[in-house]
Amino acid sequence: MKLCMACLWCFVGFSGAFAQDQQGLQKSEQKVLQKQNEQQTQKEEPLLSFDERGKYIYYEVVSRKDKTAEELKQCAKAYFKSLVAPKIQLSAQDSLWTGKGKLIINKTAFVLTRPSGEVRYQLYLDFKDGKYRFWLTDFSFIPYQRDRYGNFVPATPIGTPLEQKPGKLNAAEWESYLKVTAKEAKLFADKFKRAMLLDEAITVPTAKAVPVQRTKDQKW
Amino acid sequence: MKLRSIFTTASLSFASFSYAQEAPLQISGSVDTYYKYDFAKQPNIGTSFAGDQNSISLGMIDLALKKTTGKASFVGELSFGPRGQYQSLINGDGTDDNSFHIQNLYAAYAFTDKFTVTAGYMGTFIGYEVISPTGNYNYSTSYLFTSGPFQNAGIKGSYAFSSKVSLMLGLFNDWNVYKDLNGVSHVGGQLTVSPVEGWTAYLNVLSGKSAGAPGTGTILDLTTSYQVTEKVKLGLNAADYSVTHDGGGYSGGALYAQNAFTSAFSLGLRGEYFNWKGTGEDSDENILAVTLSANVKAGGLTFIPEVRFDDGSSAMFVKKNLNPSKNASQFSLAAVYAF
Repeated sequence: MKLCMACLWCFVGFSGAFAQDQQGLQKSEQKVLQKQNEQQTQKEEPLLSFDERGKYIYYEVVSRKDKTAEELKQCAKAYFKSLVAPKIQLSAQDSLWTGKGKLIINKTAFVLTRPSGEVRYQLYLDFKDGKYRFWLTDFSFIPYQRDRYGNFVPATPIGTPLEQKPGKLNAAEWESYLKVTAKEAKLFADKFKRAMLLDEAITVPTAKAVPVQRTKDQKW
Repeated sequence: MKLRSIFTTASLSFASFSYAQEAPLQISGSVDTYYKYDFAKQPNIGTSFAGDQNSISLGMIDLALKKTTGKASFVGELSFGPRGQYQSLINGDGTDDNSFHIQNLYAAYAFTDKFTVTAGYMGTFIGYEVISPTGNYNYSTSYLFTSGPFQNAGIKGSYAFSSKVSLMLGLFNDWNVYKDLNGVSHVGGQLTVSPVEGWTAYLNVLSGKSAGAPGTGTILDLTTSYQVTEKVKLGLNAADYSVTHDGGGYSGGALYAQNAFTSAFSLGLRGEYFNWKGTGEDSDENILAVTLSANVKAGGLTFIPEVRFDDGSSAMFVKKNLNPSKNASQFSLAAVYAF
């Protein structure tokens, strides 16, 4: 009887330890997976790097071996023409194009939203046969404030460079502006690259004509 | 389980609701509270708001909604609390026992990129300062603000000739009323000029005969501000208001200078000269007021410590012992949260 009890205790203890091991294993596996996920997320999360001037920059070189520089320019021109708002006005100097753009930073909670500011940036585009590069830099933040009519408008015309570190009081908010800017820069880049993959220039889609059903037609 | 189902259904409903909308509904607002101590221990300085002596008092909670669908938009902004109620305006029915106040309630339609028509009850286009504490640098207000209109109900058309010049013309009710008792009685206009980036000037005029007024009142107003550098901003407000048939009026000017030492801390000085026009046998009276404020920002919260000195041409204040005095001074600390 004693032997049976001892065996039973051993079995219970062993299975407990096994279960704990299993749980531990599962937990460690989960941790590894979580870590992998975090790493993936970190990899996916676009981050701005610095250029030689110490300014934040989003920079990409894209290869399009089948296109000449002129064709790439036409494609880019059509894309920027198709943008609705905010528009980017480009000026060209040889192969280098420059323009000023802005992105609106919204504070969103559930279905409600309000703009909290805008980030202005300088856009550069450079074209060569078979490839092009573009970069966004000189990011500056302009906070919005509500005017007397209840509309959100820039509180100042002069932006604060994103490189300028704010005090501790506003550090969290500034960090979020940086993250949104990086995310929006990546979105802009993705859209632009997609448009540059098209062989034909983007045209604004026109509404399809709705067919008219003729009831007076005798041949029905 | 039931609760979870309710939340899920609500989320789905909201999701489909938001999907159906063109642009999301904007909601924003502010909350403010203050403490004021007058050095004569009397509530001496009579400009709008921050009036309670040695008391932690309330400003208002302000809630604004905005929605744009295509070319049409509306703004509805309500305030609750002393600042937005009896300290600024009477109620629509002429009594002071209102429970809320409308700051903005209008609809607008942009016929083109350059031409917009707006109708309803709007913050006034006159002057530098506004009722909402988030729109002012100093917490206490100027005499020019207190004496001028706060809001105008009416219909106006704005046309932008270029990015640098625009013109607004409109027909308005009497000042600060939801409905006009003597018909739409005022005409107004605003010429906006932005000669260089950072500098904007508004030339304003509003003229008309208010119900019960002795004559036609006309305000000429110049409001301008210039962001000189990233840190320095200058502002100016000058106005003249005259009522015909010896109905009095006022004139004055206020200069604003602000310097942002960091993104979280700035100092601002307001110097104001204000003159009340005498009527009948009474002569003019004037006042010089200097206000030094700091803005300490932490996220959406702004602390505004402030000292103010007012010096009048006659004994318009009182001392501690209630004897008349030509000057008054006060300290206040306000907390304003914008969301």
